[in-house]
Amino acid sequence: MEHTSLIERILRGIALALVVVFFMFPLLWIFLMSFQTNETILSIPPQLFFTPTLQNYTALITGKLTSAAGTLDIAFMRNLWNSVFLSVTSVAVSLLLGVPAAYAFARHKFRGSEDIAFTLLSFRFAPPLLVLLPLTLYFQQLGLANTYFGLVWVYQLICLPLILWIVRGYFEDISADVEYAYRIAGHSWFATFRKIALPLAGPGIAAAGLLAFIFAWNNFVFALVLASADKQPVTVGALAFVTASGIQYGQIAAAIVLSIAPTLALALYAQRYLVEGLSLGAVKG
Amino acid sequence: MPAVVPTARRRSGLRISKRALPYVLSLPALLVCIGILVPFFAAVLYSFQRYRLSQPWNRQYNWGENYLNFFTDPGFWNTLRVSLVYAGSTVVLELLLGLGIALLLQKRTRLNNFISIMLLMPLMTAPALAALMWKLMTNPGFGVLSYLAGLVGLQDFRWASSPSTALFTVVLVDIWVYTPFIMILLLAGLRSLPTQPFEAAALDGVPRSFVFFRITLPMLMPYILTATLFRLLDSIQQFDIIYAMTQGGPGDTLTVFQVEAYLNFFQSTNVGRSAALLMILWVITYFLSFVFIKNWLRLRERARGEA
Amino acid sequence: MYEKEKGLIDAFVRQQVDRRELLRRLGAMGITAGAAGTLLNLAQTRAWAADFDWMAHKGKKLKLLLNKHPYADAMIANLQAFKDLTGMDVTYDVFPEDVYFDKVTAALSSGSSEYDAFMTGAYMTWTYGPAGWVTDLNEWIKDPAKTNPNYAWDDFLPGVRKSCAWNGKPGGELGSDDAKQWCIPWGFEQNNITYNKTMFDKVGATVPGNLDELLTTAAKLTKDVGGGVYGIGVRGSRSWATIHPGFLSAYANFEQKDLNVSADGKLSAAMNTPESKEFHKKWVQMIQESGPKNWSTYTWYQVGTDLGAGASAMIYDADILGYFMNGGDNKMAGQLAYAAFKANPAAKAPTPNIWIWSLAMSSYAKDKDATWYFIQWASGLDHAIFGATKMDFVNPVRQAVWKEEAFRDKLNKSYPGYVDMFDVSAPGASIKFTAQPLFFDLTTEWAATLQKMVAKEVPVDEGLDALAQSIDGQLKEAGLG
Repeated sequence: MEHTSLIERILRGIALALVVVFFMFPLLWIFLMSFQTNETILSIPPQLFFTPTLQNYTALITGKLTSAAGTLDIAFMRNLWNSVFLSVTSVAVSLLLGVPAAYAFARHKFRGSEDIAFTLLSFRFAPPLLVLLPLTLYFQQLGLANTYFGLVWVYQLICLPLILWIVRGYFEDISADVEYAYRIAGHSWFATFRKIALPLAGPGIAAAGLLAFIFAWNNFVFALVLASADKQPVTVGALAFVTASGIQYGQIAAAIVLSIAPTLALALYAQRYLVEGLSLGAVKG
Repeated sequence: MPAVVPTARRRSGLRISKRALPYVLSLPALLVCIGILVPFFAAVLYSFQRYRLSQPWNRQYNWGENYLNFFTDPGFWNTLRVSLVYAGSTVVLELLLGLGIALLLQKRTRLNNFISIMLLMPLMTAPALAALMWKLMTNPGFGVLSYLAGLVGLQDFRWASSPSTALFTVVLVDIWVYTPFIMILLLAGLRSLPTQPFEAAALDGVPRSFVFFRITLPMLMPYILTATLFRLLDSIQQFDIIYAMTQGGPGDTLTVFQVEAYLNFFQSTNVGRSAALLMILWVITYFLSFVFIKNWLRLRERARGEA
Repeated sequence: MYEKEKGLIDAFVRQQVDRRELLRRLGAMGITAGAAGTLLNLAQTRAWAADFDWMAHKGKKLKLLLNKHPYADAMIANLQAFKDLTGMDVTYDVFPEDVYFDKVTAALSSGSSEYDAFMTGAYMTWTYGPAGWVTDLNEWIKDPAKTNPNYAWDDFLPGVRKSCAWNGKPGGELGSDDAKQWCIPWGFEQNNITYNKTMFDKVGATVPGNLDELLTTAAKLTKDVGGGVYGIGVRGSRSWATIHPGFLSAYANFEQKDLNVSADGKLSAAMNTPESKEFHKKWVQMIQESGPKNWSTYTWYQVGTDLGAGASAMIYDADILGYFMNGGDNKMAGQLAYAAFKANPAAKAPTPNIWIWSLAMSSYAKDKDATWYFIQWASGLDHAIFGATKMDFVNPVRQAVWKEEAFRDKLNKSYPGYVDMFDVSAPGASIKFTAQPLFFDLTTEWAATLQKMVAKEVPVDEGLDALAQSIDGQLKEAGLG
């Protein structure tokens, strides 16, 4: 595998370059667009050179959007905060619930364990709308409609099965011998779990948490249907720039950039966990 | 099953708590999910009713009628077909592309690590927003892709707005968003493969194609299955991208299950049909995940047996 | 009913947020700040002394569900006036239009009492009314104890007012005697032509007078203007929104209907007549020759943005869409002009279908009397004049606003032909759809069929026959046909 010919290396380089262009170009274009006014964006043919402006970002951050119909209030920063809050809380709750369960499935084969595990995973695959539509009704009756609590609960459908599945595989790949040795030395089950199992599974848990975070962050339809305007995440909030008196393309672009930034920062920070964490057989099981 | 079970029996003093423990550990997760799924049963009931919000006086059980109507409803068969074609083509293409990229990035170099993180960016773009982006890029006026297509002689390429290219366009967006997901799982898999078989093969001068098909691919299989499972089941339920780009049009080109059900519920307020459609989708996904997970378990056991 | 000067001050008086602006304007008229203050107080007292207890619901709270729209913006800009007038507190949720109606459906179908009043269109009340989600407002309008004496319900344009009233019977005539007032009209749009005057002058095109001329003019513009500009913008997405603007207005001008209503109240599809097929052929040809390239994804936004950015030379769509595009930072601002459009050469006058943004009261409203206070204020004359003269609250639904000089001046100055267009087409303007609960099924399928025709997937004749057959089947299934 080490001996690669020059031609092969060139071909690999070209292939990689093409891949990078395909996946990066749209984002680059949007990034550039976010520094343009609506007028330069709409010019035909597209302009390569333009005077960059920060007005789109200013509008988003100050919450004042100046358009044809005067000054409008926008709540984008609020949306961004909602996204952060909902995703972080949901993942935290999922980890709290999911990691012990994953440990149980990995370490203790009990009656019905496979069935329960499968059932939990299958929730990931129930069509969201099937649950969502009747849920609007029930949330109303339970008083959970339009609460962060209710939303975080629903978000468990996205996060929990994913975490459960990946972390379980990770636990199964780690030999249980260390834990038994520790138990025999007279430590409690909980101490073993906390001091041995959790640290060993750390990278897998981090990777699962990160993936769950990404999926929670990207969700659109749950919050749209279940929450009022002040609890909407960025995915819904970005639509606000499509107004009856015109589409604010520049602001849409800036909103997209701002909405990717937090997940990207998190991914960069946790990158070694992501690839390595998934590597240790977590997904393989 | 796994080798841990016998050891659990060794210490009899812990037996009672041991028996209860796994239930205690997994119960909260189960309860939380089941709590959310209670409405699911309401949906089952709706699917057996003639139920339009705009005609509350007409609401009554018609039992299988919503389902029976599907047999003679060309719209339904179209939905089924489009959903399967969409799911099939996205998963196959993403798998091939994702595997290819993962192979390119397999070596742990600084550059490769950097690129693999960069490539995750589309995955971090919400599909709803990604669709919005691609809509802008394919705008015939100022869209950069339309402009580029024009440069290579495709002035009339109409992207999502022509029935002949709409499927291609949404599949392209799906590929853009989700290939990184498959790539990262497979990359993780490739990098965790043991090195001995490959070194041995290299020493023996075994052809590379043989190594790939006989060693790499089989060892990677569990990863491929997991990635395929998650993608396939998400893809057959696609909503965000298609709804944001075309609302199921042009014509009935892209009326996949969830889009059709959403329109049925929110526009026609035809709750009965909407619920019945979603039930069928649920049966399909349940069946698919069942088959996959059975295979996955078998594969895992075989992998352990060999190890 | 309003003398000019007094009327203006009255209109301004309740908008205390805009006090500075008022003082500035009065100052410009030579009135000192002190005198202005006196005038203000005078007018205020007069308004408050009117024989109506605006403070009856003091301290109560209301919550509104609003669509992101200039109408909502105008209301929000003036909301402090309502709070001051009534001592009530009002909060609101604003959602983008893409998801707005889904949000309304979700809130109402779950019986949520979160929102007391919300914005809606008349078509939507054909679902909401029978579903029991909105309240018949006649009870309040006709009760002098609950409605202020200056409300002047008769001042609303009759066609618009009636279009918001329906007796709930499928196929029932709008505004009939037994009709329920499901919502109060707020602002409305007629569908006519807005064109880019500069482009028309450049290629020597004249404003088309009927459908055939529309086709040739649009083709000429597409060919001659250059720079990728296309001739005519119309909507094309897979949605009811594609059917209701220019398309249905022209269709109705040929005396074609969506549905037939038989004597015993049964409905049947009516879009496969020979005349209808002829019309559809021309419409489809127009889009193929001179429409936007990705027409099938076009909604209100794309049609408007293209006109504003100079990518299209004319639109056959809502007049107020053309109005918005003539202002703000649009590239073509100041270059647009308006004309009423009569598709059928044999017709006497234009017959624009209309869209009416209205205010409806949720059946689950916590305090309906208090909610009505808000609705009557928001649809009252003072707010209408404020919105029409100072914001983009057009088209007003009240005749008095159209008589308001300040408003007409504003239009005549910056929106050439707008007032004429309005005057010509307003008499024929009304909702041309048959009111019935399958409205969205019918229109979505109609739009999908149009898309197939434009994409040449199905011939027009065949497509319409299939559409009619499918609609008939659905009507029967729902017990309507």
